[in-house]
Amino acid sequence: MKEVFEIENKIEALSILAGKIEELAEKWELSMPLTMNLNLVLEEAVSNVIFYAFNDHQKHLIQISLALENKILTVEIVDDGIPFDPLSQKLPDITLPVEERPIGGLGILLILKIMDQVSYSRQNNQNRLTLVKNI
Amino acid sequence: MNITKEKIGEFLVLTLYGRVDTNNFNELEQAIGQVFEADEKKIVLNCSGLNYISSSGLRIFLTALKKVNAMHGTLHLCSMQPVIKEIFDISGFSTIFQIFDTQKEALE
Repeated sequence: MKEVFEIENKIEALSILAGKIEELAEKWELSMPLTMNLNLVLEEAVSNVIFYAFNDHQKHLIQISLALENKILTVEIVDDGIPFDPLSQKLPDITLPVEERPIGGLGILLILKIMDQVSYSRQNNQNRLTLVKNI
Repeated sequence: MNITKEKIGEFLVLTLYGRVDTNNFNELEQAIGQVFEADEKKIVLNCSGLNYISSSGLRIFLTALKKVNAMHGTLHLCSMQPVIKEIFDISGFSTIFQIFDTQKEALE
């Protein structure tokens, strides 16, 4: 089973993304916690792309594909922005006390903790982030 | 999202309903900002109706906790759905927040 769709590089498009995931979850009969986690990792990954991969103030399309085969869920996010590797971001130290706890970096941390494999590549002037979860 | 406010004893209880995400985190930020402006120092965030939170929402929780600690106040969270508790666990937030199973315990 596979679904591919595109959304615009604007924050409001995240609501469209959430709606698409709800539809897909119903069609593929995904559990409520899995649906929430899937929505979460996509929101984190796509909002990073929207915030950091474009600097030309132009409209771009971000391609999202989801596939479910043999209980392996694969998500791919492809954009034509500037090179942006979310895995190069520094992860927050979550053992620090409140006063020293950094405010940023939680998005990529959530993606890494929820998914089983996360990889980034730059090919043909495109960023490609691949997320895999065994369900 | 929807937020309701109720004063119970010394505590101001904010009950959150729906999603806190990149699109609407500012609604929660404003609601908590108003609580600080009103000089409330004992706050309960009842998360019973919260069914989705992303890092944008988590940042508001962390910022609020830092502020409450700086003014020697109290911030208690309660009644989290398991999916939300899991997000707090993996973000390392469960070790810095005081999280109670029920609102009654959060008010004690």
